[in-house]
Amino acid sequence: MAYTADISRTNPGCFLFLIDQSGSMSGALGGQPELRKMNGAADAVNRILDAISQRCSQGMDVRDYFHVGILAYSTDEQGNADVRSVLPETTPDAPFLAISRVVDAAQVEERQVREPDGAGGVVDVNRKIPVWLRADARWGTPMCAALAQASSALRDWVGEHPDSYPPMLINISDGAATDGDPVPLAEEIMATATTDGNALIYNAHLSEMSAMPVQYPSDRSELPPDEYAAQMFRMSSEFPPPVADAAAGMGLPVTQGSRGYVYNADMVALVQFLDIGTRAASDLH
Amino acid sequence: MILRPRNELWAPKQGNFPDEYEDAFRCAPPEAPTLIAVADGASEAAFAREWANALVDAWVAGPPELAALTEESLTAWLAPAQEAWSASVPWERLPWHGEAKARAGAFATLLGLAVSSQDSADGALRWRALAVGDSCLFVVRDGALLTSFPLDDASQFDNNPDLICSNPANAGGLWDSARLADGECAEGDLLILASDALSRWFLAANAEGERPWEQLAELDAATWEAWLDEQRSARALGNDDVTLAMFEVAQDAEQAPR
Repeated sequence: MAYTADISRTNPGCFLFLIDQSGSMSGALGGQPELRKMNGAADAVNRILDAISQRCSQGMDVRDYFHVGILAYSTDEQGNADVRSVLPETTPDAPFLAISRVVDAAQVEERQVREPDGAGGVVDVNRKIPVWLRADARWGTPMCAALAQASSALRDWVGEHPDSYPPMLINISDGAATDGDPVPLAEEIMATATTDGNALIYNAHLSEMSAMPVQYPSDRSELPPDEYAAQMFRMSSEFPPPVADAAAGMGLPVTQGSRGYVYNADMVALVQFLDIGTRAASDLH
Repeated sequence: MILRPRNELWAPKQGNFPDEYEDAFRCAPPEAPTLIAVADGASEAAFAREWANALVDAWVAGPPELAALTEESLTAWLAPAQEAWSASVPWERLPWHGEAKARAGAFATLLGLAVSSQDSADGALRWRALAVGDSCLFVVRDGALLTSFPLDDASQFDNNPDLICSNPANAGGLWDSARLADGECAEGDLLILASDALSRWFLAANAEGERPWEQLAELDAATWEAWLDEQRSARALGNDDVTLAMFEVAQDAEQAPR
């Protein structure tokens, strides 16, 4: 059955992030006027990568259960596409690093965060927060160029890891592609497959509209009234049944037919239901 | 009667190095063990190997009073092992990704066995076992599986077994997940302890009428790895750390016959 491959160092999993850094991303995030979309995008990447790193951490060391790439996209002033590979010593054609090297590349900042004190209250504590991506926003949105680059990188990765769990592409954008229709390119990526199934595309749609957040809708009728929502929805993979079962088992609002699309909502939970061995019980809560 | 060791074999998950093996096994005393324990550290936890070792060390140093076990006595018995684990964590040197995981604590299964003739009137050997999770004890008598504890069907295994936590604050639910069993030993009985992948294989093979204990009894250090490779390639055995400990109930040669 597909989507059941063990994620291991022999057959690692793969995350490729596509980050929209176009000018429109400097707009405010819906419902959170103090936060810009570009900050929301950077936070989302940093938080998901933190979660992946934590899952691979053995305490002192990190096991290479995943390969990770980050491609940021915008245009120059003339409108020429600029797709950049964010992790050190990578290129847009070869954007991936093993997670242990991704961990080494983090810039660690000390921040005060509020946590439950275990007695019903909250307490401010200093925690180390890893940062890989800084907020940026300039010019146009070459989403098609970014997807074409991702498609090529994922084809190469799948060729090198034919029996791995299928790669997962996470696109974070406000959806306004300025270089054509991205849907055919998304379909091309979804057709890229390992022996364990087709690549999955998840879209985190950030919007200035302050509509209610939406998570993993299965039907267009559930989409927010954003002009780009329908296109982003069509670019999002339907959860294959084993993935939908695992996600629902972890308490995510996912049913059969749900798609990997969230609107002004958190996607960190996506990394929690991948099986990489006996779970630490605390991960379940 | 005594328990005589027949086989003690282990191997890390395929593709891992021996120092990444996160099961643990102890028995004492070595020639005729009365205390035996297997623990299986959860692969996603931090410092799981240290925790599995702390648990089996605690067991052979002195198990809880199984005949009258309570939630309080089990919790109290666990405390020194939890402290030993915490002392083994280099808290000051933890990288950012290790901090939250170490604070949450490590997780492991435990299967502990104690054999004694003290509480039986006729001097017969009895076993008592405590289990949290999916490391299993099998008792084979007269060519048939007599006892399978705590799980008894291959379908009961998954990636979310009950686990003991090294952090007392996250150890709630321990009592609900603790299972107890006991039984009498007869000469010639085989007692087999195994971590989850091998236990699952054992139960599936037994359900097919394959007498899996016979295969296990024939293995030794020379044939073990080839056998694992064969079972793993055939997908009969999941790719996981594997621990096997097999004992036979035998007459104590040093004891004068009646």
